[in-house]
Amino acid sequence: MSVPVKEVPFAGTVPSPQKENEGMITGSWRTRRPILDCDKCTDCQICWISCPDSSINLSDDGLTFNLKYCKGCGICLEVCPVGAISLVPELDFED
Amino acid sequence: MGVKKRISGCVATANAVKLADVDVICSYPIRPYTGIMSELARMVADGELDAEFIHGEGEHGQLSVVYGASASGARAFTGSSGVGVTYAMEVYSPISGERLPLQMAIADRTLDPPGDFGSEQTDALCCRDQGWIQGWAASPQEALDLTLMYYRIGEDPRVLLPQYACQDGYFVSHILGEVDIPDAAQVKEFLPPYKNHHVLDPRNPQIIGAQMEPAMGPPMQYQRYQAVESARKVIEEAHDEFARIFGRKYAPWVEEYMTDDAEVVIFMQGGHAETCKTVVKRLRNLGEKVGLVRLRTFRPFPTQQVREALGKFKAVGVIDNSVNFGISGGSGVLLTEARTALYGLGEKVPTLGFVAGLGGEMITHEEFYRMFLKLKEVAKTGKTDKETFWLPFEL
Repeated sequence: MSVPVKEVPFAGTVPSPQKENEGMITGSWRTRRPILDCDKCTDCQICWISCPDSSINLSDDGLTFNLKYCKGCGICLEVCPVGAISLVPELDFED
Repeated sequence: MGVKKRISGCVATANAVKLADVDVICSYPIRPYTGIMSELARMVADGELDAEFIHGEGEHGQLSVVYGASASGARAFTGSSGVGVTYAMEVYSPISGERLPLQMAIADRTLDPPGDFGSEQTDALCCRDQGWIQGWAASPQEALDLTLMYYRIGEDPRVLLPQYACQDGYFVSHILGEVDIPDAAQVKEFLPPYKNHHVLDPRNPQIIGAQMEPAMGPPMQYQRYQAVESARKVIEEAHDEFARIFGRKYAPWVEEYMTDDAEVVIFMQGGHAETCKTVVKRLRNLGEKVGLVRLRTFRPFPTQQVREALGKFKAVGVIDNSVNFGISGGSGVLLTEARTALYGLGEKVPTLGFVAGLGGEMITHEEFYRMFLKLKEVAKTGKTDKETFWLPFEL
């Protein structure tokens, strides 16, 4: 059923979400999971800049992947200058 | 006070853009519209115009740049011709859907083939249903005036739509005409500063062009439909205001030339109408009851006004300066639109379609004369063996 005209935002413009969007969890689309080799990682953060879904978190203990939203696109693997990231088939994991 | 100069349609448009105090311009070269950009580039380089002048990497990029610029609150200008216009096709609907009132000048050029530099309105007519305001200038003066008027119409809070300000390549864009360039104070009175309805700002992040669920589709489209329809009133107001401030009065929808007591008329748009006027004048001197009706605003199409204007005559010839292969009626988009407008009157007015001036060829006096002769015959007998004629091969 169509939404009433008054209920759609003008020109489809909406405030940007400020936190994780529970209505659009995309981690289930992933077929391969990114795995980081912490020994190789130089903490250059190029993967963090490049991730189109902001699914890489920076912390004092190094970077981690937000698997709730990571689609497994592999851009991080492509841009990593030292080859510290690999993609492992999801079926290889128990969870 | 303004100044009078003999300038081309391209230079006239550039002067209007300068007077509109545009903030962002994005160019990519293609003849013939590129004359507008070379003039604007000169103005920016010489310090006459304070605007960001960006070179796009193609027309798709050009439209994307002005899309972003307009969303961030800038008055933005771009343009193109021929295959450049069609290359950017993807971006037109998002811009009107996002309700960004930027302006694009189109100086018509044929699509390929024949790939020549000649003028044909096919390029701009391909974009006719994208939710933009659209119309054709017939002279350099009108090209300047159209740019100013369209910014005002598009930026009106009741409308908020982008605009295609079209002019025939070469016949208008590169032919010199006397142009009254108004002074900045007059333009300031006519065209208030652009106020964006939701400025892109890092301190207040927004999603524009968000992906939506299907249930949001119908109301989104309905919003845009209402905007296009409400433009009708704003277009009329803008023309009245324009006449008051600048002293040049244009009919907002259709310009009638020597139509008093006319029996047959030609209905067309764009610069070739100026040639047609000289033929009408000559035939009038010979006692023929002929006239011309020139369409000034193509989108939104003035159905009611065209019905009233054309319903008076015994036969109407519609000239399409575009190719529309396989179209209903066999001629072009203007014929189908004119017939749709006249449909409410039943079969009262016979309409003939003429395809003329393709590939940048002139529509000659002789061709206009033959069209009027054919229309006279149809008005007299009420019969025709054909409804559509490709000139010069079939008439």
